[in-house]
Amino acid sequence: MEPTMEPAVLPVRAPEPADVPADVPYSFCSQPRSLSSRPKYREQPKAAETEKGPLSYVNIMFDPRVVRGNVLSVRPSPPQHTEPHTLEVKRQRRARRKVLARKFTQVHIRPGTPEPVEGREHVHVQTELYLEEISDRIIEVDGECQTDDFLDRPPTPLFIPAKSGKDVATQIEEGELFDFDIEVKPILEVLVGKTVEQALLEVMEEEELAQLWSHQRAFAELRNAEFAELQRLEEQDRRIKEEKERRRLEHLEKLRKQRETAEKIAARAFAQRYLADLIPSVFNNLHDSGFFYDPIERDIETEFLPWLMSEVEETLQKKVLGRTMLDSLIRMVVEKRLDEFSHPPPSAQTNAPSEEPRTADAAPKSGEADAADQPVAEEEETDHPVAEEEETDHPVAEEEETDQPVAEEEEADQPVAEE
Amino acid sequence: MAQPRISAYLPPDIDPTKAALAFGRRALPKLNEELQSAELLTQQRALMALCDLVHDPEKVYQAIALGFLASLKTLLVHQDQTVRQKTTEVLSIMALHSIGREGLIRSGVISALAGLLDDPVDICRKNTHQIFDMLAKLPEGAGGVLQAGLIPPLVLKMQTELDEIQELILGTLSNCLRVEVSEALAAGAVPVLKEKLSHPSTAIRSKAAWVLLEISSHAEGKIEVCKEEVIPVLVSLLEDTQPEVQVSSTGALMFALVTPQGRSSAMGAEAIPPLLTLVAEETSKARLNAIKTLTLLAELPEGRQTLLDHRDTFQRCLDDPSEAVQRAAEIAITVIDWKPSCSRDLF
Repeated sequence: MEPTMEPAVLPVRAPEPADVPADVPYSFCSQPRSLSSRPKYREQPKAAETEKGPLSYVNIMFDPRVVRGNVLSVRPSPPQHTEPHTLEVKRQRRARRKVLARKFTQVHIRPGTPEPVEGREHVHVQTELYLEEISDRIIEVDGECQTDDFLDRPPTPLFIPAKSGKDVATQIEEGELFDFDIEVKPILEVLVGKTVEQALLEVMEEEELAQLWSHQRAFAELRNAEFAELQRLEEQDRRIKEEKERRRLEHLEKLRKQRETAEKIAARAFAQRYLADLIPSVFNNLHDSGFFYDPIERDIETEFLPWLMSEVEETLQKKVLGRTMLDSLIRMVVEKRLDEFSHPPPSAQTNAPSEEPRTADAAPKSGEADAADQPVAEEEETDHPVAEEEETDHPVAEEEETDQPVAEEEEADQPVAEE
Repeated sequence: MAQPRISAYLPPDIDPTKAALAFGRRALPKLNEELQSAELLTQQRALMALCDLVHDPEKVYQAIALGFLASLKTLLVHQDQTVRQKTTEVLSIMALHSIGREGLIRSGVISALAGLLDDPVDICRKNTHQIFDMLAKLPEGAGGVLQAGLIPPLVLKMQTELDEIQELILGTLSNCLRVEVSEALAAGAVPVLKEKLSHPSTAIRSKAAWVLLEISSHAEGKIEVCKEEVIPVLVSLLEDTQPEVQVSSTGALMFALVTPQGRSSAMGAEAIPPLLTLVAEETSKARLNAIKTLTLLAELPEGRQTLLDHRDTFQRCLDDPSEAVQRAAEIAITVIDWKPSCSRDLF
């Protein structure tokens, strides 16, 4: 079974009229056919060659026309008759051939270049007329060009053509050369048109601006109205604030005055109370400290009474002195009597003179006592000595009557005198 | 093939006063070089050609990119009046385009133009003021004019210039004073404007009222306007026959009456009746401003009393097609209907 290597030789078969409709919208590269059974024995290929019978069916798995492998990479188009036999294509064909040869041993490999002899190497050589460098990348060269900067066009020189020929005059009648009214129309149209166009442009420009400004003006009015409202409210707010502030200050003032008045009243009440008994207390204090004094009382107190007291003291002292004197007298008498009673008396007569010397003793003694007393109580000499004498007489008179009570009195007097 | 015969077709542009334009992109650079040439005729012809070209915004863009403004600035101080006139014309046409305006502001043409305010030629001055007017419509332009210190000279010029130029000056001033007003007040703008309010020309009156509007939108402006007793004049303008004048004067009142002194001055000038007529007119353009002004007056007790009788006029305004007017009418009705809630309430 020979696989068809030349796709140009396509197994064309007439379409089976029974199965396929005549006006088929598509055509096949290879008409569908059922697979024939694979012969068991290998003698078949010769028969297929000579017979040129129904061509062997190719297993689709080994059909070279079926694209295999990665469909996304660029593949060279299937080998065609007209394509130059590049190295790559040749290699692929050989590979395919080898693959098929493994499967079908009867397959004839198309005779290609025999393998190189030992020690030699085959080299690919281009045999075309014009050698060509084969590479994947196309050699590119960038080139650029640029025109020169514009030179300013010089102003058009005034061109007056040189006079040539002879001047000849011709008479031109009216209406011969041209009809002015007709000829002037296009010129006029252009003139008027251009003028009007220019004018329109200017008017449009101004109108555009006027529109803009009127728009702006309308906005400005709205803005001003809002702004005025804002200012009105601000002013209102300011007035209200001011009024509030004023009232607040007023209120504070009122409170302050109230407080002050209350304080004043309280202070006044307190002061009144405090000072209510100020005067009495002051007077009391002064009175107590002795500022207000009755002058007579004062006088009595400061002068009379001390004098009186001193006088009384003096009097008492005199009395005391008198008693002391008496005490001493009595003592003396008692002692003498004791002496006398203890010693027998020489005579009764001596009693009376002894009494008289005793009284005489007593008298000078009293006189001595008086003399001693006199510096004590100088002042009232006239009164007191009389009283003293009387007093000294009494105790003398008393002592004679009772001795023992006198002795008792002496004893009693002595502690008193000691005191 | 070139022939030594004169062509039957005339060259497309045979104006001898204009320079020949090079082809395509080369036209403007060549003109730039010609502008800088020493010869007067060349400069004039180049300027004439430039004037025509500059109507196209793309050419304006290209011209500014090429640095034409520097050469034009040097030409502004040229002795020849044609050169100056044409230069100012070119600049004024450039200022008509937005790109041109930006370019002019950026390259400081305003200060260069300041010297031309006293130019003897009328056209130069007119073009100069046109440029200022156009530039001042942009906020950056207004700032540029203010920074160049042009306000005092402009206010002075108001009294001496021609009417046309006065209109342009008023336009410039209105846009600049929206930004800042102290310089103008120092230069004594308010008395000048008060005079212009009684000018015979409608445009000048309305523009002067508009400038007063812009002045009164600032606090110090309001005080000045009250002091100069402009408010009675504005109230008299309310009865003007021209609608633009009415619009501007109501606008000026709208701002000036915010202060209490303004309001009392307006009440003294009996502003309410003319304002009411303006509000009642259905098609009046001054309706919005009039409603706002009446709102301000309604905050005064006397105003409220008067306006309570005319409440239905405002009701009818609620049907106006303009939304702003409806809103303003609502606010006005609210203010008129306000009643104090206690004896100590004032507002």
